[in-house]
Amino acid sequence: MAASTNSLISMQSRSGMAASRICSLKPVSLSNQGRSFLSFGFRSMPARSLRVSCAAKPETVEKVCEIVKKQLALAEGTPVNGESKFSALGADSLDTVEIVMGLEEAFGISVEEESAQSIATVQDAADLIEKLVEKKD
Amino acid sequence: MFPFIQKMLSFQRSFSVSPSLQLPSPMETHLWFVVPDEFKSVSLLNQYMELLSPCEKENVLSMRGEQLQKQALLARTLVRTTIARYQINNRVVDPRSLKFKRNVHGKPELEWESDGGQCPSPLHFNISHTSSLIACGVTVNSSIGIDIEEKQRKIKNNILAFARRYFSLHEVEHLSAISDSEVQRQEFVKLWTLKEAYVKALGRGFSAAPFKTFTICIKNGFRRGFDHADVLESGAPEVVVESSDRPERLTNNWQFGLFELVSSHYAAVCMEKDKTSDAGMSVPIRLNVRKTIPFVEDECISGTDAVVPIAGLIEQF
Repeated sequence: MAASTNSLISMQSRSGMAASRICSLKPVSLSNQGRSFLSFGFRSMPARSLRVSCAAKPETVEKVCEIVKKQLALAEGTPVNGESKFSALGADSLDTVEIVMGLEEAFGISVEEESAQSIATVQDAADLIEKLVEKKD
Repeated sequence: MFPFIQKMLSFQRSFSVSPSLQLPSPMETHLWFVVPDEFKSVSLLNQYMELLSPCEKENVLSMRGEQLQKQALLARTLVRTTIARYQINNRVVDPRSLKFKRNVHGKPELEWESDGGQCPSPLHFNISHTSSLIACGVTVNSSIGIDIEEKQRKIKNNILAFARRYFSLHEVEHLSAISDSEVQRQEFVKLWTLKEAYVKALGRGFSAAPFKTFTICIKNGFRRGFDHADVLESGAPEVVVESSDRPERLTNNWQFGLFELVSSHYAAVCMEKDKTSDAGMSVPIRLNVRKTIPFVEDECISGTDAVVPIAGLIEQF
């Protein structure tokens, strides 16, 4: 049995920062009193969501990136991907609302204010879109 | 009257910003702002970086690109140095020592200890940024919300489609009635800033007061009939907020000011009315506006053509 300080799943949440990373499933070997066993560790998962990042299709993420780039008039070659935080790209509250509206129109969905407030990254938006599209069908 | 810091060039080596200012009185808002383009000195920006908490530094560095990093740095610097100017309980405040927390809804607040342990700070602040101007409003014993937008801000979506999706019915009607598209765009931006300022003053997050559920109306000044208690002087457009989904929600305890700032921006301020004044009576917001380069220079611009009131009762000093 693992000692109390070693746990199979370790979740690190950074207080004060909504840092959301794509979780990577890496085999990690934990040694416990000389015995080693394989376990999977989730790296740096945001505490608020325990979900695997491949929830949204790449095409959805790509489309969200396009809409974001257009709204924020980002320079050619600015890297935008699932991890990108809207605020880190320079989106203010009006930009965010415009982006949500653009997403609603592009995907034929309707986003509640509460859900819109929780969107921090492109990935968040893509996941929410797929959830709403699924509900629609 | 408290002493203004007039145009003064003194490079402060220490991190205390002096002279200290008296706290704002009731119904006073002090608005401080920076213009990012005026900050070119790398050594000055590095000095500012030293004021930030580790978490704030990390956040600044997570911004994509130098311009955004500079803006994020200036925003935190503005908040810290502005608050530090106000001596609270005769203590000189080091901007680095200030601690911030979020209220239960996520609104940033000042955390501070009084002699009796922790209690809410009498000083309230709210910040707003655009790429070209970052502002921080400060009040005492009154919740405050501010929003700044560039006058020229272009909306990517169709304005009326956007308004129908997010604004209230009356607001859509008001915007639809404007035939000139440029005037319509300007009115949209003004309305947005007022709505944002209100929601930020409430401090309960966007979803607690969805934009659709309240109406902001700029009423042209006119003499009211005898059925109303208050009588407006002609010429002072009044800003009124009404809640459409919860008519019983108190809305007449909030007061607004809308003005043009340095000819390039619209600025909206929303604050709680002074609780000691008669309910329903409108007392002007006393507004003081200062442009700053922290540790280098401050300039009071109230009462100049850099601050042009558009709506709400504003008295500049």
